[in-house]
Amino acid sequence: MTGETQVQGLAIETRGLAKKFGSQTAVNGIDLMVPRGSVFGFLGPNGSGKTTSIRMLLGLSLATSGTISVLGQSMPARLHEVLPHVGALVEGPAFYPFLSGAANLRRLDTADRFAPRGTRRARVQGALERVGLSHAADKKVHAYSLGMKQRLGIANALLLPRELLVLDEPTNGLDPQGTREVRSLVHSLAAEGTTVFVSSHLLAEVEQMCTHAAVMSAGSLVAQGTLAQLRQVGESRVHLRTPDAAGALRVLTHLGLDPVLATSDAADEVVIALLGDTNWQPEAIVTALVAGGVRIRGFAIEEPSLEERFVALTGEGFDVVQ
Amino acid sequence: MSSSEFLPQTQTHTRARVGGWDLLGSEISVLFRRRRTWAMLAAVALIPTLLAVAVRLSSSTLDPGEGPPFLDRVSQNGLFVGFTAMVVAIPLFLPLTIGVVAGDTIAGEASLGTLRYLLVAPTGRVRLLLIKYAGAALFCLVATLTLTVSGALIGAALFPVGPVTLLSGDTISVTESLWRSLLVAAYVTVSLLGLSMIGLFISTLTDVPVGAMAATIVVSVVAQLLDVIPQLDWLHPWLFSHYWLGFADLLRQPLDLGSFGQNAIVQVCYVAVFGALAYSRFVTKDILS
Amino acid sequence: MKLVSRNSLGWLPALVVPAVVVAAVIAVPFQAGATVDLPSKTPEQVLALVNDSTVSAFSGTVEQSADLGLPSLDLSAGMSDSMSKALPESTDGAIPLGMTTALELLSGSHEFRLYVGGESQSRVQIKDHMAERDIVHNGSDVWLYDSSTNAAIHLSLDLEASAQAKSAELKSQLPTDLANPAELAEHFLDELDPSTTVSVGTDARIAGRNVYQLVFTPRTNETLKTDTLVASVSIAVDSATGLPLQVTVLAQGQTAPAVQVGFTAIDFAAPNAGLFDFTPPATATVTEQAMPSPTEGATGDQPGDHSPAADEVPVVTGAGWSTIVEVPAAAMPAEVTDNPLLDQLTTTVDGGRALTTSLVTVFLSNDGRVFTGAVPLAALQAAAE
Repeated sequence: MTGETQVQGLAIETRGLAKKFGSQTAVNGIDLMVPRGSVFGFLGPNGSGKTTSIRMLLGLSLATSGTISVLGQSMPARLHEVLPHVGALVEGPAFYPFLSGAANLRRLDTADRFAPRGTRRARVQGALERVGLSHAADKKVHAYSLGMKQRLGIANALLLPRELLVLDEPTNGLDPQGTREVRSLVHSLAAEGTTVFVSSHLLAEVEQMCTHAAVMSAGSLVAQGTLAQLRQVGESRVHLRTPDAAGALRVLTHLGLDPVLATSDAADEVVIALLGDTNWQPEAIVTALVAGGVRIRGFAIEEPSLEERFVALTGEGFDVVQ
Repeated sequence: MSSSEFLPQTQTHTRARVGGWDLLGSEISVLFRRRRTWAMLAAVALIPTLLAVAVRLSSSTLDPGEGPPFLDRVSQNGLFVGFTAMVVAIPLFLPLTIGVVAGDTIAGEASLGTLRYLLVAPTGRVRLLLIKYAGAALFCLVATLTLTVSGALIGAALFPVGPVTLLSGDTISVTESLWRSLLVAAYVTVSLLGLSMIGLFISTLTDVPVGAMAATIVVSVVAQLLDVIPQLDWLHPWLFSHYWLGFADLLRQPLDLGSFGQNAIVQVCYVAVFGALAYSRFVTKDILS
Repeated sequence: MKLVSRNSLGWLPALVVPAVVVAAVIAVPFQAGATVDLPSKTPEQVLALVNDSTVSAFSGTVEQSADLGLPSLDLSAGMSDSMSKALPESTDGAIPLGMTTALELLSGSHEFRLYVGGESQSRVQIKDHMAERDIVHNGSDVWLYDSSTNAAIHLSLDLEASAQAKSAELKSQLPTDLANPAELAEHFLDELDPSTTVSVGTDARIAGRNVYQLVFTPRTNETLKTDTLVASVSIAVDSATGLPLQVTVLAQGQTAPAVQVGFTAIDFAAPNAGLFDFTPPATATVTEQAMPSPTEGATGDQPGDHSPAADEVPVVTGAGWSTIVEVPAAAMPAEVTDNPLLDQLTTTVDGGRALTTSLVTVFLSNDGRVFTGAVPLAALQAAAE
């Protein structure tokens, strides 16, 4: 689906990436392609292999087979060259509870050999500010709420300018306000040119944040591309409310569509018909219906929703926000 | 929450390597900022304190040779408190604290989840192992020094201090006895290096720090058990605990550094073997915590 | 696949390093005992080398081990403990120290440090667990110090006419000679007689020095057939200085040495003279003791001027390897015969009780006499009849 994207333009590329734990296959040969500069949503229900894939991308665990390239370099062979340019939040934040937020960030910053010592304090302060945690910088982490820890985890990923951010479920535990802040943070990072790879099981989150997405289901990659591309795969359809269902069915069938009677409430009935590859304009359909004596109480051409698309792909529902 | 004015540099593809030792400093500061570490050091200091106070309070004097080595001399010379405490602490208490620190090294980070962030930073697995080991080794030194110094202080506070009689019957000055105390501390520190590496290796096997700690302590107990089984005397010189009490050689005149050397060789062997095991285990480990 | 091979490569150190360490642990001692090729010498030449040895000052570490096939029993602890209880306070500690130490050396292995600064200066340090026993000989003073009891005994060898002789006798009583391979070797060399074949064994390396091995074997031809438990005695002689560095006694039918005393390290520089200048610690209990006479010392009697009664003098029968010593009943101190440990150690045999080891047999006849020698039990029983 992103075949036209050039290879050097990919922030992450995997070929046949697979991970087996014993006889169980957690990730089954995925070919992930994340273009540079994109905000890439990595969607999938819990347990579909998202976190396992991210662990392999970051060199935390070794692939059973397949190759990984991150920022154009092979992983984990070039791990030491790649990871300084990658900020990550993996499977929830994790900190030393007996250290303050700022001390935790300084500790993790020292772990990066490429992080200059001189600017450490300033960078820690800046990262805390950026996630809105300055007020709690000196508080011990065990006193942090889940949301604060989540923000601190994001701050850790932002200690240095990164070319790629890998954020695994970044809005977990955040209130709606926090979620909005993360969203705007991701947008501003993307505006600076950072590629953001966000995993989520929340469809709405991905729809609001991302330019691209990939869908995981039971260890396999079932779809990927820009959001527009993903939507295009779905078909537009006619949504018609009318008291004359029988007439409507007849007219639409005559137009070459394949209408079905969806619901019938007390007064009206709803007829739905996929447009398919017929090129009927909405006004032409309405004209035909009116000409056929069908009373129209409501008429709409519905664009396909990602949700339906993904439900179809994964066979499972997504948790939907609100 | 917007632009990047706080960022010191623009994005580059190559970053200079800086502060390779910063993580060691950070490791040490994290280790010694934990209350647990301080509690263990306080408990270590408590050993000579309890011994000295018990001797001070008891009305009966010990017959020569009664009780743990040197205890009968404590009331005559406070400087013996440290030596007695060392003899008492070596078989169980010091290995216990080392077990806690060494067992926690990797497994502790894994259970907190910070291990994955350290590795993604990226720390480098070998570097992390080395730094963790350095931290554990430093703790060995601090624990034995705590014992030595607290022993000397409490001994000097409660008892007279004077020239010290060595095992050979010769007497050395207070200054030289302090040097010998430090040498004993160095000996005991070296003695614990093998166990520290065993603990580090065990720590790479699990994500449950308590399990690694317990296993390390059990290993030290088992080694000492094997050391008293006569049928295994061929094995004894190669047990990491075999020379633990050999610091007595530092209290002979002339100074006998033979067992210091033998002890060091045995410890180096253990550090090499278990270091290699820890390396192999850790670099191939899938970090799933 | 590439990743998989990286993974298995990671396990390489876990295999290689332990293998290298184990190999080194096994190989290094072999390397130390690598073939030594010294110019050939006849036994006579090696004996001459020993006789011409001029080494008078040295220091070293000595390891002594005994594997006499004794029942596994903590002889040293049992002995020293019961001895100190058995002996009344008034009895000076010199004898128990000497005796228990000597008895102790018959079991297990021990490490000493030995300093010899000339004819009349020596110091033996018996390295005990968290303790040490010192025997310091400096001219007319002999100090015994035991750190576990913090007790010191001072023997003053008043330089009378017989002082030199007495000093030598005293030295033979002290465990010094058991701890000093050179002196122990001297004993064997003094005993050389026609019942012994002397040969030169394979050259070796002891305490980092090249040595000739003098091997003494009881003669086995029919006419002079000796009845002994000793298979052979080897003395390792330093090729450069002629100083015996190790004595190994092999018992019949036993591959491991029954007794072995040898240097593990030796330094031919004169030790610091201060080492022999012993001042007991201020806190130690110091006992002054006059010079005991050898026989009285050995039997634990009070020191005195009188000659030992005839019924107390040990009788020596046989010669060479099959020498049997008979100690009359009257000469055996009650502390020894009544010691419960004795019952534990000995077994009932025809005509009394016996202690059989791979090297030495002791027979306590029912009438109270004690026979001992490096001979089979039957020879002792025959001597008792």
